[in-house]
Amino acid sequence: MHNKLMTIQDAVAAYTWDGMTYCHGAAFPVGSDSVAFGREMVKQNRKDLNVICHCGSSQVNLLAAVGAVRRVEVGFSGLEVYGFANGLNRAVTSGQTVIEDYSNGAMAFRFFGGAMNWPFVPATVNICNDQQWCSGDNPEVYPATDKIPTITDPFTGQTLGAFRCLRPEVAAIHVTMADIHGNAIMLGSEWSRFEMSRAAEKVVLVADKIVDTACMRQYPNLVRIIAEVVDAVVYWPLCSWPQASCGLYDSDEEHMFMMNKAMKTAEGTDEYCRDWVHSYQTPEQYLDLIGQDKIEKVTATETAFLMDPYRQWIKSDVEVAELLDQARG
Amino acid sequence: MEYTKQEFMAIVTGREIKDGQLIILGVGLSMLAGYFARLNHAPNLRAFTEGGVYGSTPVGGLPWGIECNRISANATSFTNAIDALGFLVASGRCDNAVIGAAQVDKYGNVNTTGIWEEPPWKAGRYPAPRVRLNGSGGANDIAVGAKSYLIMASHESRRFMEKVDYISSPGYLDGGDARERCGFVGGGPSAIISTLGILRPDPLTKEFYLEAYYPFTNVEEVGESTGWELKVSPEVKVVPEPSEQELKNLRAVDTTGSLRKKG
Repeated sequence: MHNKLMTIQDAVAAYTWDGMTYCHGAAFPVGSDSVAFGREMVKQNRKDLNVICHCGSSQVNLLAAVGAVRRVEVGFSGLEVYGFANGLNRAVTSGQTVIEDYSNGAMAFRFFGGAMNWPFVPATVNICNDQQWCSGDNPEVYPATDKIPTITDPFTGQTLGAFRCLRPEVAAIHVTMADIHGNAIMLGSEWSRFEMSRAAEKVVLVADKIVDTACMRQYPNLVRIIAEVVDAVVYWPLCSWPQASCGLYDSDEEHMFMMNKAMKTAEGTDEYCRDWVHSYQTPEQYLDLIGQDKIEKVTATETAFLMDPYRQWIKSDVEVAELLDQARG
Repeated sequence: MEYTKQEFMAIVTGREIKDGQLIILGVGLSMLAGYFARLNHAPNLRAFTEGGVYGSTPVGGLPWGIECNRISANATSFTNAIDALGFLVASGRCDNAVIGAAQVDKYGNVNTTGIWEEPPWKAGRYPAPRVRLNGSGGANDIAVGAKSYLIMASHESRRFMEKVDYISSPGYLDGGDARERCGFVGGGPSAIISTLGILRPDPLTKEFYLEAYYPFTNVEEVGESTGWELKVSPEVKVVPEPSEQELKNLRAVDTTGSLRKKG
């Protein structure tokens, strides 16, 4: 198995393009997500994206705020206790972004169906209500009949909804730790990352830590994302910031509120991008921007003990740089 | 003891949660009511989140989200959405849940998706909303699959509506046996717990009526704060005030005082 480490710039250049169907995850609005990857997509000026996110997060909030999202499918679009996602909501209410709503359960089932290569997934959720009757893709028809068509269970005669399966072109998946081949361990809820990693055509892991493969051999039951389905591995410390990463850092409360407030207007978004997206290139510059005080605060997490079993295998920044050089050949 | 309407609502919701139940809790008031119940009277409550976080007790205050480290610091298991919302909720195993509502109607249908100039059901089309909310999240799955569930909402006539703009999470739809006709696995909402009182569904029509109101209000005020002609139980009662012990237990869960800030 070869070394799949890439810089975030190279990974975004190689695995994203205008008009693509892009999936990011977990995603959790406050926790795991490949937020740093989305920032790099903004830097590289990606446009016209069809985004699939199980839940919205700061990533799709930013991408929509800069006008890069044509369409989004989502189970929940807010930022939980941090409030409504101002950037995404601005894009939706202005008509710039089409939003297609499902429930969180339905999104998970649809990733599962995509992973299984099923034609559709049958379920009883989302039917007999506006999740079925309102289609962002077909807004002139109410009640819509082609978003979640009604079917009959051939065995019992029961009415069910038929759900389109999800097969994103690329998924950028946040993981706590990965080896250079693409084996990964996730701490905290997986949400739908297991299914997402099998449903997407290409998978890029965005990892907070790079560990030796010996770590995976010690805990193979915990390796839920496997090298066999992964195309690239990006190392980016605090890659979920300002959101949390279980075991490593808490959400940055101050920045979550500040960033979401900025997303409310185009001007605020421009200023935010100037200060917090276009203002760094390397992981070192990114960490400097966040600042040592803030890093100490968010990494003083009650969940830190969860990392104890894995610490002996974590690669230092110098070792990761050497591995990255090797990968480039 | 002084308390806020939000605290009263959380305690009354907690009283509806029974020991031993398997319950799925969402972020905010839902989690506070659930963990209050466990501390107060339901020590064997089996609580989990839709992310599949099991066996935990929040630390450091109200979690910022269902996957916040505040609820991940002492979990006994982390699984995933398929497990929590599929295997435990869609399957019909889950006993109880608490969901929130921006709008709720007389049949307990909940809107958390958006506000429209002209709602889709009236317009006959689905334009962009005037105000985008959050979507259903896991609440639609809970509304369809849980054996029963509780709805918590701020009691105002603009929120308690004859008909909501958008049904994100179905209650009893248009009443009667509508749920059964849709083949839903779960039984529907057992109560709407508001900032003014407790509403229950009529066993036959499924229309919600006023069962009890809080000591600081009255039947007239509750009626005026409801956007449909609210029926009142002939045996309408006053909800017992929170006890000192209940408030102490709620505040032991709500350590950051999120419910005390809301008046």
